[in-house]
Amino acid sequence: MRERPGPAPYILLAPFLLIFAVFIVYPLIRSLGLATERSFGPGTSDFVGIKNFRLLLIDPLFWKAARNTLVFTLGSVFIQLPLALLLALALNRPTLRGRSFYRLIFFSPQLVGLVFSGMIASLMFEKRTGLINKTLHGIFGFSLDYPWLQVHIMPMLIITALWMYVGFNMVYFLAALQNVDRSLTEAAMIDGASKAQRFFHVTLPAIRPVGAFVVLLSIIGSVQLFELPFIIFSQTPYGGAGPDNGALTLVMYLYREAFETGDLGYASALGWIIAVFLFLAGLGQLVITRGEKA
Amino acid sequence: MRHYSLGVWIVVAIAVLSSVGVAVRGGHKAEGLTMWTFARPHAAMYRPIVDAWNENHDPGVDLQLLSLAAVEHRMLAGFYAGVETADLIEVERSIAGRAFTGPLEAVGFTDLTDRMREEGLIDRINPPSFGPWTSRGHIFGIPHDVHPVLLGYRTDLIEAAGIDVTLIETWDDFKRVMRPLIVDADGDGDVDRYPLAYWPTDLDKDELLILQAGGALFDADGRATIDTATNAAILAELVSWCVGPDRIACEAPDFTQSGNDLKRQGYAACYFFPDWMCDVWNKELPELSGKLRLMPLPAWEPGGLRTSVWGGTMLAIPKTAKDFDACWEFAKHLYLSDELARTLYRVGDIITPITEHWDDPVFDEPDPYFGGQAKGRLYIQMAPHIPARSSSPYNRRAIERVSDAGMRLLEYAKSGEVYDPGALQPKALELLHDAQAEVERQMARTAVFREGDSSKTSQDNPGGDG
Repeated sequence: MRERPGPAPYILLAPFLLIFAVFIVYPLIRSLGLATERSFGPGTSDFVGIKNFRLLLIDPLFWKAARNTLVFTLGSVFIQLPLALLLALALNRPTLRGRSFYRLIFFSPQLVGLVFSGMIASLMFEKRTGLINKTLHGIFGFSLDYPWLQVHIMPMLIITALWMYVGFNMVYFLAALQNVDRSLTEAAMIDGASKAQRFFHVTLPAIRPVGAFVVLLSIIGSVQLFELPFIIFSQTPYGGAGPDNGALTLVMYLYREAFETGDLGYASALGWIIAVFLFLAGLGQLVITRGEKA
Repeated sequence: MRHYSLGVWIVVAIAVLSSVGVAVRGGHKAEGLTMWTFARPHAAMYRPIVDAWNENHDPGVDLQLLSLAAVEHRMLAGFYAGVETADLIEVERSIAGRAFTGPLEAVGFTDLTDRMREEGLIDRINPPSFGPWTSRGHIFGIPHDVHPVLLGYRTDLIEAAGIDVTLIETWDDFKRVMRPLIVDADGDGDVDRYPLAYWPTDLDKDELLILQAGGALFDADGRATIDTATNAAILAELVSWCVGPDRIACEAPDFTQSGNDLKRQGYAACYFFPDWMCDVWNKELPELSGKLRLMPLPAWEPGGLRTSVWGGTMLAIPKTAKDFDACWEFAKHLYLSDELARTLYRVGDIITPITEHWDDPVFDEPDPYFGGQAKGRLYIQMAPHIPARSSSPYNRRAIERVSDAGMRLLEYAKSGEVYDPGALQPKALELLHDAQAEVERQMARTAVFREGDSSKTSQDNPGGDG
């Protein structure tokens, strides 16, 4: 017969549960309440039911933020992850000399940190004084005044994120590739499978669980995009969301409404929309991976 | 009794001891008054005055320097959640509007209007300086400054081009007289110098130029007035400065390394100079010492306004202050003193809003950075004429939308090769209409001024909050 564990586990879990309840559960419940209120400055609000959600759906800025977030997410999933996988495949070749060095090089932007990378990107894409325009001007006579930070905001953010995260995701893929059963690959080779066939029919199915996890992480990270555009554009005269809100993301809009406008109700409604979307994305990942196991 | 491992007992002991420790220690309460400021130069200027005050007053004042973001977040946390704030808070204009949302009784600052009237302070302070600190006719802070704007120009570049700046009275004169400055010195097809540092993305300059031209983004009752014919004409004119064959303006941002590089290179010959900007240039660009002079801004029409306004700070007393009377006495001592007026100018190049100090000889001292010009006197001549400003919580959002409209108009002008301000005006009005709709949507959502709010109109407002 199993011995009852007694109160010890509960005592040990209590600090975490207390902190979780105070800083996660209560704010979640409170924010749901706030999402049904209309703010009138500090300490004054009215109950408005689901009006904040309805207003969000007809708010052009919400849709602009959603579109920007979607573009960045697609860039992350369809450009960043394939690149990370390609790099991992290249660096997984046993014959490659200096593999450890290359891994360090590709991973190093993570060591520098997002703030620093964002500031460097901001300086590189500046008009007249930026490295990009100066180089292009020197080689091709390209205009020094070309305003990257005004007209190509999302591509510029995706490129900067590539620099930051390709190496990071490469590490996940590399770990997965190193766990692929070599006997399967060798058996396929003996059976006459080409390199492409070995990749698509042996390697890819073997690393799919990790791939699904990386895709989910990438979606969550992209939907929560805030710091990168905030840092890049806070260095410019037009501030966080960039010119014409070209860098406005869902989380940035939430931050702006909550902490700059003081509209806590609207921001809470937006927060819940993001949370529901992320919950569905997580559920989707769970369903896909469970389906594969079955 | 059940036996538990040592680890469990250690965890339990730590939890109990730390809980008891937190409970016994409680919140730290300062004995005297506390004051927050966000600017290092302010803190340096106030320190001797605070020290002298503390010698004769017990308990004294604890002056604390916080970042602007920390002041904003802690101040608003105090107003929204009731956590402790300082007894006196220096508030910068960009965050002040946040405190004025909601009904008057919800504003976290003490209404100083009656005190100021009773003690005659309203008559001692430059009237337009009250604007950003006044909501619905109620004054919530003592103005720290005036911040009139002049035009700073590079004498070395201007003289080399043989330009006589005394011929400039209006922006039209400026465009005509300064044209010889536009040069492609290295012949690479890119212009290397423009007369003016301005771009529609620079929100502060957009605002100061709109105000100077007589435009306004909010009326006296706090309603958005973005899509007016006046604002459209101003925006069309500003965009015409940045595009086409008659382009005179370029982007040389302030407060950035790249912007400072462009200033050193003389990419633009003229810059907007609020009084505090003199100190910024002095510190960040010492190599330009002696190469700059100041002159009144060109007017938008003959006889028009030759200045504008950029930035501002107030000293406010939150409703939660421990001892209002002590705070009020200290605030007056600090902000109204002739000692601070002189220090503000000597250390930070800032003109005091206290009009009785304007005769002080300190303002006639020559400044070597500006070639020995007595710039203080020039700023004081402009001080009474600065335009009135809005204290609307939506002011920043409105100017952002105007800036966006400016950038879209710039693209429209480029793509359609439409450069004449008159021809750009209908499109400008259309874009401002979109901006107005967006700001109104936000205002309607948060209802800054709730119906039935017991507020006076701004006609009672000495500085005009609209």
